[in-house]
Amino acid sequence: MESPLHHFEVHTIVPIHIGGLDLSINNAVVAMWVGLAVICGMFILPARKGLSLVPGKLQSVLEIAVEFIRNLVYEFIGEEEGRKYVPFIASLFLFILACNLIGLVPGSYTITSQLVVTGVFATGIFILTLVIGFSKHGMGFLGILVPPGIPKVLIPVMIPIEIISMLARPISLAVRLFANMTAGHTVLAVLFGLAMTGPLWLGWLPFGFTVVINGLEIAIAFIQAYIFTTLTCVYIGDVIKLH
Amino acid sequence: MPQFEQVSVFGSLIFWSVISFAILFFMLKKFAFPPILAALDDREKKIRGDIEASEKLKQDVEKIKIDLEEKLAAAHGKAEAIVQLAQDEAKKIQEKIVQETEAKVKQVQREAEQEIQSSRSKLLQEIRSYTAALTIASTEKFLKKALDDSDKKRLVDESIEQVIQELEKNQQN
Repeated sequence: MESPLHHFEVHTIVPIHIGGLDLSINNAVVAMWVGLAVICGMFILPARKGLSLVPGKLQSVLEIAVEFIRNLVYEFIGEEEGRKYVPFIASLFLFILACNLIGLVPGSYTITSQLVVTGVFATGIFILTLVIGFSKHGMGFLGILVPPGIPKVLIPVMIPIEIISMLARPISLAVRLFANMTAGHTVLAVLFGLAMTGPLWLGWLPFGFTVVINGLEIAIAFIQAYIFTTLTCVYIGDVIKLH
Repeated sequence: MPQFEQVSVFGSLIFWSVISFAILFFMLKKFAFPPILAALDDREKKIRGDIEASEKLKQDVEKIKIDLEEKLAAAHGKAEAIVQLAQDEAKKIQEKIVQETEAKVKQVQREAEQEIQSSRSKLLQEIRSYTAALTIASTEKFLKKALDDSDKKRLVDESIEQVIQELEKNQQN
């Protein structure tokens, strides 16, 4: 039986080496591009063609998606401040959603099941929150390390705890997405392996489960993209509002 | 796990995912989101405007309705007043006619009574004059002759006959 982790392996398709750096195009990158191309086609073509006041089916889907993200941003960051973050948060949501969903196509690859990728995005968001915080509040941003209303004697204890909790945010953000994607695909691979290796009279059972789990995975693809973007909004909202 | 073992691909995964995200962000921000957000805002504005307009129309309709109801009530009152007036007028006319008729009847009655009275007195006058004439005629006859009872009777009969003849003659005239 093939290892259930086998499909997480990356195969180089077009080798590119620049100055000792391996920037080869591999199956993970190609799968991601396919997903992103679908997103671009879905969003840019109707928008370029012109949107009508009475929306059609596709336009309704696009509008619901954008309005959903916009409401999310307004809820956690606020309407005034949040307006300029809507394109970034929406792009992040669509990027993660596209990568999660394209991975469910058999033979493709889920780039969000790579911890380095989710880690880079989580770290990037963490750095972005720091930049927003310092540019908005100056050194007063460090006040985020002291929760309001705590006794002064506790401040030396609270600051390290708050620093740890701040640092835990990108780690949890990265690991959550990576672990969910990896676990889902591993379970699918295990069940499918069982279905393929077992006799037909027994094999239909795990195969039936793969169908159910696949449906669940579609939901998880949406939920994880939603959680990732929601937490990004929460973190940005926190540094803007400072408690 | 391949995700931790294939260290050599980390560079390309990070590079391409960041670049791809940056391109996606740029493309969507430039070409997709502005029209979609504008369409959402436009629709929101239109819906808000439509709701406000319909609210205003509703208020106007309410105002017009109240106005019409007032006018209707006024017209109703006016109509009632007119009907009342007509009824009063009709009653007055009726009473007047009754009074006039009564007066006329009374007058006719009075005239009839007067006529009866005058006819009666005239008749009495005539009777008196005939009685006097009869008495005079009888007395004349008595005085002219000494008469026996049969004569007397005959003479009285003659007198009566004469008076009746005269009466009849008068009536014929």
